[in-house]
Amino acid sequence: MSKPPRARLDPRGPRFGASLTAVLLLVVVFLSLTGASAAALTLLAAITALFAWGALAGAGRHPYGVLFKKFVRPHLAPPTELEDAAPPTFAQGVGLAVTLVGLILGLAGVPGAVGIAAAAAFVAAFLNAVFDYCLGCQIYLLLVRFGVLNRGRRTVGNV
Amino acid sequence: MNPLEAIGLLFALLAATTVLGLVWRARQGRVASVAGDIITPADVASPTAFGPAATLVQFSTELCARCPGTRRLLDAVAEQRPGVVHVDVDLTHRPDLANRFAVLQTPTTLILDGSGRVRARVGGAPSRADISATLDAITQNTTRRTLTTAPGSSHV
Repeated sequence: MSKPPRARLDPRGPRFGASLTAVLLLVVVFLSLTGASAAALTLLAAITALFAWGALAGAGRHPYGVLFKKFVRPHLAPPTELEDAAPPTFAQGVGLAVTLVGLILGLAGVPGAVGIAAAAAFVAAFLNAVFDYCLGCQIYLLLVRFGVLNRGRRTVGNV
Repeated sequence: MNPLEAIGLLFALLAATTVLGLVWRARQGRVASVAGDIITPADVASPTAFGPAATLVQFSTELCARCPGTRRLLDAVAEQRPGVVHVDVDLTHRPDLANRFAVLQTPTTLILDGSGRVRARVGGAPSRADISATLDAITQNTTRRTLTTAPGSSHV
């Protein structure tokens, strides 16, 4: 695998997206707690689809990223530095995995699955939005340590 | 569950997550003094030699939001100080190194003294002031030690 030039993002874009996601996930938790299971499941399905979009198309092409560029970034100072798009894209994949499990278990009728999955995803999205915590980076390192991502040794040039 | 109870639970979730975030942020970049082993460049698969005064060994992966910023910071610190070298180790294809040095987050930085002994460890993105203070302490100790051992060596 050769190294293509990687997409770079304003780091505030993914954090803006994470705050929208966190609010929506909190609504899912509320709906599932108050017994509005169908509504909770529908909203979680929509959030899952958005995570899939981000994970497959890249964090830079996420709909929230478009909102950020159009409505938020013009009001902000230019970014002090740009960030690699790979970590937030991977984070979208982690979010997709968590919400997809909740969705499947919810459709299978497992009680509480939708609310618990939404709460777990909320914790990650909130920490990302407010504290700039990168859960994807952490999970990536764990996958490396468990050998899941070890595609053989190769030398990586200094960046 | 009635809506009021549900909103109460949401606030509890929000509060717990905020506490988690505050604890995480307080621990980020904190320099911990350690009395570690002596390591060599071969131990971390480094092609460059360690610094005669001190070495900053940074562990990164290719998927790490804070690693490039830390790399620039440590590079700049090393450049300003004679005898200090910065080494960036990509763990992506070296899980053995990640396990050996028990790296739980990236970036993680080891600060070695002139003999290659691990003297401090930083989890997360460090601040320039903390790194500088630690390097000051380490290089001062080294100088003091050479000074105090110098008279002793005369009667050997």
